[in-house]
Amino acid sequence: MEPAVQVENLVKRFGSFTAVDGVSFGVERGEVFGILGPNGAGKTTTLEIIESLQKPTEGRISVLGLDVQSKASEVKARIGVQLQASAYYGYLNLKEILSLLGSFYPSKASPESLLDQVGLADKAASRIAELSGGQQQRFAVAASLVNNPEVVILDEPTTGLDPQARRNLWGLIREVNQRGVTVLLTTHYMEEAEALCGRLAIMDHGKIMALDTPRNLINGLEASYTVKLTMEKPMTESQLKSLNGGVEVVQSGEQTGEDAQAENTYLLRLANSPSALKAMLDEISKAGLGLENLQVTPVTLEDVFLELTGSELRD
Amino acid sequence: MFPLIFANIKMMARNRQAIFWALFFPLMLVVVFGLFDFNGVGVADVAVIDQSGGPRAEVFRDRLEAIEFLELEYEDISPAEAREKVADGNLGYLIIVPELFDDPAGQAQARGPGPVSLIYNTRNPDRNQLVDGAVRNLVSDIHSEGAPVVPSLLVTADVIQVPEVDYFDNVLLGLLGLGIMTNSIISIAVRISTFRNQSILKRLLVTPLSIWKFFAAEITAHVLLAMVQAGIILAVGVFVFGGKVHGNILWVLAITALGAIVFLNIGFILSAWAKSPAAASGMGNAVAFPIMFLAGTFFSTAALPWILPQLSLALPLTPMLGALRDVAIDSEPIWDTWPYLAALGGWVVATGLAAIKVFKFG
Repeated sequence: MEPAVQVENLVKRFGSFTAVDGVSFGVERGEVFGILGPNGAGKTTTLEIIESLQKPTEGRISVLGLDVQSKASEVKARIGVQLQASAYYGYLNLKEILSLLGSFYPSKASPESLLDQVGLADKAASRIAELSGGQQQRFAVAASLVNNPEVVILDEPTTGLDPQARRNLWGLIREVNQRGVTVLLTTHYMEEAEALCGRLAIMDHGKIMALDTPRNLINGLEASYTVKLTMEKPMTESQLKSLNGGVEVVQSGEQTGEDAQAENTYLLRLANSPSALKAMLDEISKAGLGLENLQVTPVTLEDVFLELTGSELRD
Repeated sequence: MFPLIFANIKMMARNRQAIFWALFFPLMLVVVFGLFDFNGVGVADVAVIDQSGGPRAEVFRDRLEAIEFLELEYEDISPAEAREKVADGNLGYLIIVPELFDDPAGQAQARGPGPVSLIYNTRNPDRNQLVDGAVRNLVSDIHSEGAPVVPSLLVTADVIQVPEVDYFDNVLLGLLGLGIMTNSIISIAVRISTFRNQSILKRLLVTPLSIWKFFAAEITAHVLLAMVQAGIILAVGVFVFGGKVHGNILWVLAITALGAIVFLNIGFILSAWAKSPAAASGMGNAVAFPIMFLAGTFFSTAALPWILPQLSLALPLTPMLGALRDVAIDSEPIWDTWPYLAALGGWVVATGLAAIKVFKFG
């Protein structure tokens, strides 16, 4: 069976600016595939080319085995799309909007069952403006399902939502996927990518930096723990080097810039062995360095991103 | 509060497109009203059929030509056809210079110079009086250079009775055209611009809905609205203010529908350029208002100077109003207005193609 989405050497240029720079990936049927990256990474442009909203400068894209350029209409009939920012007719109620959108497709789901699936059955007669942000996003997911799609493409589905609403939407996306619908989504939330995606492409500056399961991406890092040290006094370069036991110093001094102690705060990564932490603490004690605070956390996708791009995930 | 006032002024100043149209609009009205010569009688179109062909008839024609408010046409047309045009209101005045005008022998035999015929309808009494007087004076003047004449025998006036039409009846149809034009242009431009700004158009674009179906649905809904609007305007004009519609109302509605399509297409074109709904509204007004005045909605375009009366013929509202007035006032069947309908049809095609060319979903 053909993959749900196949992207090969995709390039999109706007004048001299290259928004997408030679991207290739495949989305298998039935999986939740995520594209993680900061704003401006090229995620939305990639999705809009898959949705045939934009034309690629170079490259080939097929969805469900159909070329998106030459078979745009057939592709559109079989996918569901939730755009990053889109509104719906303000003077129609939710049921009327779903009914109207459904009329554009050969196969359509009943508006009542869609609203029921996203927990908005009691809002069928309401208009969009009367919904909360979370309800609007849930409605957008319902609207992407009007044609019983085989693939849904969700562009930053939880941006702007509070944590509770975000988790509700994750549950909804999992339910949709469990019914056999392939989900391709973008996000700039690490936690979301980790919680939802079976596989993940990390994208920055128009390129895919890595592609694997979230677990493999994390395990791929040499370090497995991040240690944040806050010292009484600034450390010298050589003192710092003696501490890290061969594992990198991610950030030091003012680079962390998070709190008042920033200049004495250091971020280190340690290999996955209990002895590494012990050796570091012994080193601190031996050198007589005053330790004010110590935080040890397992590495996350944030660290993977940092490792791959050399910078924190920017908004 | 002051920072808010300054911030408001700054924001308004930065919305350049909206501010441009806001200023453009009143300035344009000043220009348009300044162009009309409200104190004049306008221009009277006169066809001259010269059956004499002599030098005196030529002098007569030259001196007619010198009269400022007369615009002479020399069409190769039979007197009967020309008379029909006068009766239909398609020609203001017809002057027939008789065979004997230049023939002293014949005149002697006929005991007089043979009267010049002046033919007009009853629609414009003030202008009729002026033209009648001017023609009589001129003929009398020319003939008084020869033998003594009896002025009253020199010109016979053939006044064709047409249904009574007052200014309000004319303006009612003008208002109908105006209503359809402004509503169609502005409402579609603002609506589409709003849809685009809110990404509603983009949302539709990810569905298999074809673009022509989107256009067709918008146009059909708005044309139906325009026909309801036309019905209401005419009903209020006739039943509340005593206006008269002599022709077939279904034909009036058919012309309204055709005109509405042209203006909806113009609205689509403007929506492609407008960056915000406010700018779309300003642009719509800026397009609709000159057309409103230059197409003869309220005042005869004859009162316009320079080439503007000719320019008015090139505006889409002009054939719409022409067809509406022919059908509603002169009770003409719709097929007799075919030149107007052909012009409107041309506008439908031209604006439709332009709209498809410039329209943007995203």
